[in-house]
Amino acid sequence: MSATAMIWRMASFAVAAGFVGLWQLIANLKLVSPVFLPGPDRAWTALVRGFASGDLASKLVGTLEHMAYGWLAASIAGIALGALIGSSRLMRTYIAPSLEFLRPLPVSAIIPVAIALFGLTEGMALFVIAFGAIWPIMLATIHGFAAVEPRLYEVARALQMSRPAVVFKIALPSALPDILAGMRLSLTVALILSVVCEVLAGLDGLGHWVLLSARAFRSADLFAGVILLGAMGYVTSVAMSLAERRLLAWQSMR
Amino acid sequence: MILLARLDDAKAARQQKPLISFNGATLRLGGKTIIENLDLTVRPGEFLCIVGASGCGKTTALRLAAGLYRPTGGAVTFDGQAMLEPRREVAIVFQDYGKALLPWRTAAGNISLALEASRIPARERPGRIAELLRKVGLPAHAEKYPAEMSGGMQQRLQIARCLAQEPTTLLMDEPFGALDAMTRQGLQDEVLSLTAATNTTVIFVTHDLDEAIYLGDRVVGLLPHPGRIGIELDVNLSRPRDQLATREHPEFLRLRRQLFDFIKATEH
Repeated sequence: MSATAMIWRMASFAVAAGFVGLWQLIANLKLVSPVFLPGPDRAWTALVRGFASGDLASKLVGTLEHMAYGWLAASIAGIALGALIGSSRLMRTYIAPSLEFLRPLPVSAIIPVAIALFGLTEGMALFVIAFGAIWPIMLATIHGFAAVEPRLYEVARALQMSRPAVVFKIALPSALPDILAGMRLSLTVALILSVVCEVLAGLDGLGHWVLLSARAFRSADLFAGVILLGAMGYVTSVAMSLAERRLLAWQSMR
Repeated sequence: MILLARLDDAKAARQQKPLISFNGATLRLGGKTIIENLDLTVRPGEFLCIVGASGCGKTTALRLAAGLYRPTGGAVTFDGQAMLEPRREVAIVFQDYGKALLPWRTAAGNISLALEASRIPARERPGRIAELLRKVGLPAHAEKYPAEMSGGMQQRLQIARCLAQEPTTLLMDEPFGALDAMTRQGLQDEVLSLTAATNTTVIFVTHDLDEAIYLGDRVVGLLPHPGRIGIELDVNLSRPRDQLATREHPEFLRLRRQLFDFIKATEH
């Protein structure tokens, strides 16, 4: 890491530390009632206690599972559908308007529908998370497949490549930067919807933990859950960028 | 005497069965006639250059020969069969090498694409790739991505990928149009020696008249709107050609003048 990058990294840590300090100060001065706002010290204690008893770890795993399954289902379906729609001009013309109608639909609006269909079950959560997370992936994949350099298809024709070979060796790698960008956006959507489903359906996870803590006025536990959710979002996003950098190493050569 | 002998050779060669022939080939695209009633034959092993003002349909003629377009009238045949789809023994070198290479594959990976398409077993590929890279003068660049290579190197790589198809015919669409003069001359000589060694048939489209005469056994000039043949010249210059001696040869200069006058006349 270069010296300037180091300084910037340290500055960003300093800002984060400043916010925690400010939070501690507000809590210590009791600007907000301690019933609602614990200091970082109390939140941290609650976090450690939660992990020591094993409760928090199992909630964390629960949310991770919701998020991961929903996101993976959305990725597989989104890439497959996006590839199908994106590689055919005819399909794009026919299907794009319907997609434009479905896409801006708030996912929360379909939760009652999903509950009516599946009940308050894990299946309902999987459906809602996957339905919400599929859009960024599918739309990015459609765009990626539509934007493949036409010359490359001619190269494929000249080489008499088979249909699957064209998809896997030309279209998919060409669309990969778009697809990964879509998958990164969906990661956040999947996390949000995991929490929403846990809250609404009482499914095992951090969302449920946060809800119960709030109802019992255990604000330290509540904040422990929120901090953990933030950390989850951060870690998954960092993991995603590492994967992107690895898969798209060729782009840094430009 | 030598000139006469070569003329006889040329006559004998002309009676040979053509490898590629355009028989009254016509192409209409979107209500416009791009190529009309084109009659042209290419002998096996011949190096044919096509020149013409921009918009005269020379690239289109090449794409017909490649099977990337189907004629809307007449026929284009390869080895006696209608050319309706690209064939593996016909390789195409595109002008825009930057778009024709896979940016996510290294030089070796790009050549591998052609070997994979030809179903060459994986264990034979590294040897073939090294050999092809050596042939086009890129032996040290196997692991480089196209974006890390100069224009000349990228075009060399595209040529190597085409050679990986083991083509009998090479169709080249203004392949050196975007390169600087020195790189261009080097590549001209490399293409001549590569194709001579394997007796490859070549159709070479260019807007550079000197390049056409320097490379070709025959030069065809097209007239625009719609594209049709305007002039046909046999180039009776000895081979191997030499960047200095050939270009100073009186015959070269005579052909150059003739071709230049033709192009100038078409531009009015």
